[in-house]
Amino acid sequence: MLFLDLTVQGLVQGAIYALIALGLTLVYGLLRILHVAHAALFTLGAYLGVIVTNQTGSFALALAVAMVVVGVIGVGVYRFAYKPLLDQPPLVALIASIGLFIASEEIFRLVFGPYGLSFTDPPLQTQVEILPGIFLSHARLMVVGIAVVFLGLLGWLSASTRTGIAWRATVADPDMARSFGIDVERVRYLNFFIGSALAAAAGVMVALLNNLVEPTMGAVPAYKALAIIVLGGLGSVRGTLVASLALGVIEAFGTIYIGHLLDRDAIAFAFLIIVLMVRPQGILARG
Amino acid sequence: MKFKLQNIAMVAGIALAAMSAPALAGSIKIGFNVPLTGFAAADGNSALVGAQLAVEQVNAAGGINGDMLELVVYDDQASPKESAPLAVKLITRDEVVAGISGSYSGATRAAATIYQEEATPYIAAYAVHPDITRAGDYVFRTSFMGEVQGRAGAKLIGAMMGLKRVVMITLNNDFGKSLAAGFKARAASFGIEIVAEYEYSIKDREFGPIVSKVRADAPEAIYASGYFFTAGPLVRQLRAAGIEAPVIGQEGYDTQKFIEIAGPAAEGVIITTSLDRDSSDPVTQAFIAGFEAKAGYPADMVGASAHTAVLVMAEALRAAGGGGKAALRDAIAATSLDASTGHISFNGLGEVRKDVQVQIVKDGNWRHYAVISDAALLAPPEE
Amino acid sequence: MAYEIVLLTTMSIAILFALSLNVITGFCGQVSLGHAAFFGIGAYTAALLTKAGVPLALALLPAAAMAGAVGLLVGMASLRVRHDFLAITTMGVTFLFVGFVRKQDALGGEVGISGIPQAAFGRPGLLLLAIVCTVLFVLVALHIRRSWMGFAFDSIADDEDTARILGIDVKRFKLWAFVIGTAGAGVAGGLYAHHIRFIGPDSFGFVESVTVLAMVIIGGIGSIWGVALAAGLLSVMPLWFQFVDDYKLLLYGLLIFAAMRFAPDGIAGLARRIAARIALWRLPR
Repeated sequence: MLFLDLTVQGLVQGAIYALIALGLTLVYGLLRILHVAHAALFTLGAYLGVIVTNQTGSFALALAVAMVVVGVIGVGVYRFAYKPLLDQPPLVALIASIGLFIASEEIFRLVFGPYGLSFTDPPLQTQVEILPGIFLSHARLMVVGIAVVFLGLLGWLSASTRTGIAWRATVADPDMARSFGIDVERVRYLNFFIGSALAAAAGVMVALLNNLVEPTMGAVPAYKALAIIVLGGLGSVRGTLVASLALGVIEAFGTIYIGHLLDRDAIAFAFLIIVLMVRPQGILARG
Repeated sequence: MKFKLQNIAMVAGIALAAMSAPALAGSIKIGFNVPLTGFAAADGNSALVGAQLAVEQVNAAGGINGDMLELVVYDDQASPKESAPLAVKLITRDEVVAGISGSYSGATRAAATIYQEEATPYIAAYAVHPDITRAGDYVFRTSFMGEVQGRAGAKLIGAMMGLKRVVMITLNNDFGKSLAAGFKARAASFGIEIVAEYEYSIKDREFGPIVSKVRADAPEAIYASGYFFTAGPLVRQLRAAGIEAPVIGQEGYDTQKFIEIAGPAAEGVIITTSLDRDSSDPVTQAFIAGFEAKAGYPADMVGASAHTAVLVMAEALRAAGGGGKAALRDAIAATSLDASTGHISFNGLGEVRKDVQVQIVKDGNWRHYAVISDAALLAPPEE
Repeated sequence: MAYEIVLLTTMSIAILFALSLNVITGFCGQVSLGHAAFFGIGAYTAALLTKAGVPLALALLPAAAMAGAVGLLVGMASLRVRHDFLAITTMGVTFLFVGFVRKQDALGGEVGISGIPQAAFGRPGLLLLAIVCTVLFVLVALHIRRSWMGFAFDSIADDEDTARILGIDVKRFKLWAFVIGTAGAGVAGGLYAHHIRFIGPDSFGFVESVTVLAMVIIGGIGSIWGVALAAGLLSVMPLWFQFVDDYKLLLYGLLIFAAMRFAPDGIAGLARRIAARIALWRLPR
């Protein structure tokens, strides 16, 4: 019973990880950049979600606004921060990204205040019995729902549309793709838009689960998402999914059973190091 | 070079003295290190407002024997790496007569060493690290040690509420650990059986697994340490999972923001803290009204603690009457003052002796629940 | 004077810390996002020893040895994983270190270690010791540069597989880079513990690892004087920026970003380009 309950809790957490990490893995796959500032977009999404919901009373609208606005800003980040650095060693973009992330945390604090924001009337709080004895709030169910719908959409997009084919071609070999007439730049914009919008969706859902949005809420995703995409084999979408869910479940059990020996982050990274020592290319290598 | 600098300083000093001579009041500088940027900025903001309010009140009432109190404020980002150099700067450059910490444990502990060595009095407003006052006889603390508050929590649950089967949810830092140590030390004597203890990190906001396990444990009460930003989501998630057992917290919960985050789930949460909202004491009432007017949000424990520390310092400055730092230290040690967090006096180590206020959330506000004034139980360590 | 001494000590320790990472990341091309762990190992080792009565100058040797030994272990991991995989693995080392220390009562656990004794001759004594250690490490780094080891590091940083074909013992040199770099960080950590004289698990987290990597990259990866300059400046920047109070960290973050955006090859690269332009301008027309 408890076993099942912990597994479900872990999977919900894993779904959140997946939404955040997917955008990161898309960026990595395309540009080989460890995009730490991705976590700032996650935080921005959370702020927009709370503010728009409190202003209009519509959570669905808030989710849509957050995803679109953050998506566009994500494209801006690529255009103005990363594009000029593409010829440099990847470390340069990493440090630039960290600088952006530090600055953005401070901007959130200065603009929205240090105390953080909460929903005045948080939606989707009622409980449902999904399995005998196991209750989940509508909010948690929606986290899983959003993850499944958007990831499904992404899978369909990349497998069955012209855009998706262009995208995969660009990931595989940008120069070759360009020579076949693919607008590589457009693919990159799209890539940042989708990845950032997914991060925003994750931010809004986390805001809903905790009823708290803080300037520093991106600090944990900033490094944990990096661990997840590495665990998944850097740039592999399927690997990232598997790694997200596995990490969610391992943290859930770890917190309860070895929490007095190692904290949550240490558990996650112990798992990462063990996996990498056995499989240096991650759970699923790119292919 | 040195000679020249001294000359310049002397000339400047004479000029300054000449300029300020006609003015009636001089100023007395007190150093104040506080996190204004970075992760602890929320508490830092409240601490600064509380301290500034106290300075305004002191100066409006005529200052220190006619001299005006002045805070020299530096942002330490709650980091020992910043606070230690800043303590040196405050003492040697700004030449403050004393310091107050409006910061967290690590930053306060590092600065305390320096204040002690420079023989400059230092009061920690709300940092809980057990070793802070052990830096020496110049260092004081006007808030509870974690262990003292943990003992009060055990009495509250075991004796006053009469609940016996308790699950502990412990925050993994010096605050949570020292609370847990105090609670465990006295739990048995109040008939409490600790069913289980779970630990979490200050970064956690998602408690799904712990909530599941607590539901399986079915305790009569939950003793959960944390700050408003961890406790708000925790209480919310506990209640959402249908766990009805009373949640007992501490001063880390003590802000309106906790109630805002937890929403209806906050109703009935009980905490041990320093600030009594329903106090009839005029100093406390003036603080509560003044804080909300100045900050734009209701008073909290951190603000009250910084306010208290400044009042204690002001009173000691009055008593010492310009007799130097050693006299000031002795005056602080001899404090007996009604401040915004109750009646303050210190033990031999420099730890505060005061009553523990117990507050409960009722209709979306913190309200009086009880007072614990058991001197033997609340006695802080003497060394 | 006291405050200037404190600032100079802060800078000196940061310079030593950054130069030690520069050997691993700059010279040998192995990215480490976990360097603060070794800084922490040195800090804990030295603090425990001096609290037991050992003089600081002596305690720094075991601090270096301890950090170097763990560095050797992590170096072995670098033989298994590469590039970004290595960066994230070393990042994990920081989290494991902090997670481990948190639960060890012998190391003070969450409460950390306080009451660390002062160095001999107080703050000036510590400054002198820090400068001596930093200068010694600079000499070591300069020597490596000019030796066969420096050439081997260069070729590994450039292209590991080619280096192997050239007959360079890649494994051995990688391990050397890690041992030298982490031992240097251990000394820096030992000095830090006696500078701030309070250490706890939060002093050696991921943020510190990132900060020191930023110093190396902004200085100009591989350049000794560039990295030293960047480390010196960045380490005291939060203290200098007090006057901009509320915007301090914002400015810090933007500065890091701007440095990368407009001088991606760091201070050293910028200086090279400026020097080249001046030389060009001086040519007879």
